[in-house]
Amino acid sequence: MKWICLLARLVLVAVPLLSYVCSAFAQSYPNKPIRCIVPYPPGGVVDFHARIIGQKLSESWGQQVVIDNRGGAGATLGTALAAKAAPDGYTFLVVSPSHAINATLYKKLTFNTEKDFAPVTQLTSAPLILVVHSSVPAKSTKELIALAKSKPGQLNYASSGSGTSTHLAAVLFTTMAGVDIVHIPYKGGGPATADLLAGHVQMNFAGITLLSHIKSGKLRALGVTTAKRSMAIPDLPTIAESGLPGYEVDAWYGAYFPAETPREIVSKLNKEIVKILHMADVKAHFASQGAEIVGNTPEEFAVFTKAEIDKWAKVVKDSGARVD
Amino acid sequence: MTDIFNNLSLGFSVALTMMNLFYALVGALLGTLIGVLPGIGPLATIAMLLPFTFNLPAVSALIMLAGIYYGAQYGGSTTSILVNLPGEAASVITCLDGYAMARQGRAGPALAVSALGSFFAGCSATVLIALFAPPLSELALQFSAVEYFSLMALGLVAAVVLAHGSLLKAIAMVFLGLFLGLVGADVNSGLLRFTFGIYELSDGIGVVVIAMGLFGFSEIINNLERRETRVVLHAKVQKWMPSRDDFRASWKAVLRGTTLGSFLGILPGGGAMISSFASYTLEKRLAVDPSRFGKGAIEGVAGPESANNAGAQTSFIPLLTLGIPPNAVMALMLGAMMIQGIAPGPQVMVERPELFWGVIASMWVGNLMLVVLNLPLIGIWIHLLSVPYRLLYPAILMFCCIGVYSLNHMALDVALTAVFGLLGYVFIRLDCEPAPLLLGFILGPLMEENLRRALLLSRGDPTVFFARPISLGMILLSGLLLLLIIIPAARRKREEVYRKE
Repeated sequence: MKWICLLARLVLVAVPLLSYVCSAFAQSYPNKPIRCIVPYPPGGVVDFHARIIGQKLSESWGQQVVIDNRGGAGATLGTALAAKAAPDGYTFLVVSPSHAINATLYKKLTFNTEKDFAPVTQLTSAPLILVVHSSVPAKSTKELIALAKSKPGQLNYASSGSGTSTHLAAVLFTTMAGVDIVHIPYKGGGPATADLLAGHVQMNFAGITLLSHIKSGKLRALGVTTAKRSMAIPDLPTIAESGLPGYEVDAWYGAYFPAETPREIVSKLNKEIVKILHMADVKAHFASQGAEIVGNTPEEFAVFTKAEIDKWAKVVKDSGARVD
Repeated sequence: MTDIFNNLSLGFSVALTMMNLFYALVGALLGTLIGVLPGIGPLATIAMLLPFTFNLPAVSALIMLAGIYYGAQYGGSTTSILVNLPGEAASVITCLDGYAMARQGRAGPALAVSALGSFFAGCSATVLIALFAPPLSELALQFSAVEYFSLMALGLVAAVVLAHGSLLKAIAMVFLGLFLGLVGADVNSGLLRFTFGIYELSDGIGVVVIAMGLFGFSEIINNLERRETRVVLHAKVQKWMPSRDDFRASWKAVLRGTTLGSFLGILPGGGAMISSFASYTLEKRLAVDPSRFGKGAIEGVAGPESANNAGAQTSFIPLLTLGIPPNAVMALMLGAMMIQGIAPGPQVMVERPELFWGVIASMWVGNLMLVVLNLPLIGIWIHLLSVPYRLLYPAILMFCCIGVYSLNHMALDVALTAVFGLLGYVFIRLDCEPAPLLLGFILGPLMEENLRRALLLSRGDPTVFFARPISLGMILLSGLLLLLIIIPAARRKREEVYRKE
């Protein structure tokens, strides 16, 4: 009985003390350079997000944010590294929807996508656009579905790799529309775009960077994958409104800390990033890539992450893609 | 035509401002430096310098980054020639005859010819970009999986020609390379092959890892055996100007290399990488006495060096005109453009002509700077070899390890390089040449990827390879080449049999 009392007293003293230490820690944070892990090689969209945010963070906090590109194994290598980093606020991770997809796609991950990360905030949301080569007669999503139904197994879609968001967006499309279109995987978005431009494949779900080819008339955009129209191309209808109700794919970019990172630090980074996201030049930078800023709370982002993992789990199963 | 002149004069007016000249110089200098340091490639350097370019105007940033890229192509040949250490895949071929020349005390001419050849190739390719970038990119797009496969098949047959020893061993090495190329995720299904549960291997083994191990590390191990001849590169290397004979032997190789490299560089599927291999094969095929190759033939340096520089230059075409990066460095340049708020693609030329033409004009300026920088440096590089072996080589090994680590930040890569170093030593003892292995390793995965894509698109019908004219031509050419290789070998065999009887 006596030791229980002692323990209780200890806890009573320790908890406020601990929280005091924590808040002191949070106040002095950051006092050394911060590492931002990007689980992709430099040059891609995730890298772009990390560098824009990192640059502004360095300026406002006076501590260098070092971008650490750890590409490989479909982003799982860098993500694993972040999961195992010390939860002291000096390492954070920037990812894309692959983060949620990989949770189901990979049979043996060395980390748990839900439990090993403390969500900080969703940075942006961007649509994918459904594009077809100009030789394809379909002018809308509805016509494309009709065309695919009349020619089962004859059309092809390109993707930037098996199990990537561009692949799974198409899987979701074909299963929801009940059509048979053949998947042609490429190693990355570049070669997929090249073959689409040349007309070797007929369609593709791609980032908004293809806009210039749409303007030049080589490709035709049929719809955006998001629930709402994109500010970058307001004339383009959503896929849901133009032939496939209920269809929604969001290319999102978000930041995570390792789990166990003190809550004060999570909210400090959250507030700073949200502030950065609302700066006019940052907004414009993201808008130039078709991305719209989000900047939600850690709690909202946690709910969002969970929903994304569940959503993709089903699509991954439908696609038959699997990595072990 | 007046358009071109207007565009070029706009370009030069941008490139020749004090500030842009300065950044071109910084890029060229940095590029040369990292090219010379084995293993530390343009990719790691550009990634490190990217934050610095945030505060520069877009044109200056791109000019500097481009300078690093083609500067590295100049510098990369230096270590290949002097110490048999390829800084990257493109300079592997330069090791074959460049290092042989250096061992004969002719490092100077080898370095000079490679710098001059690169300069010529760089200038020609720049003109090509200025005049024909948009139609060329259209042409490159017509290359589908079918044509890529046939091109790779042709390359693979040609790989056998790279060897100067036993035909059987060369074929065996090509196959070994193909098998090594199987490691990693399967493109179509995403399943992992031969990774033995090591996630780091899921994107395959790095080209630099294999090249540096098989060429550089193994040579260092091998050198430890030759106590007396280790300091082959002594005082007699002082003379660095190529002789008149050298020029006579190499100018045609430079022309052919430039043509080949310019064309292969445009292909978005990583054609630039194989341009130096292709040029070497061509030179050896056309040579009056092919047996000189591998033993210090100057054409074997001049051709591939020009080809890889031309390829490096024209690989800007898909990036600038289509917004499609043909290799990892170009992907990074695309990232740099994105950060500057420029959406790469066909509209860049129209909406930002000062950027497009400024960068192109700066390439010419940069190439001139590089040749002016590099020729006097040759004397200094050669003197580097008089540093005692016991000091020079441990330093080189250290730089190699740093370089390999900087590629992907993986300790596994360094360990693998060491393994391939040991393997390379075994190959030296067995008289097996590593060049065919490396080509097999580079071409194999590309060939598989395109074969499977072509068959996916044709729904399993293999006749597509013969139905398209370019593809058919290349397949016929590879068949012919194969006959050219087999017939003399078979005849020799028969003569041997007759003699025995």
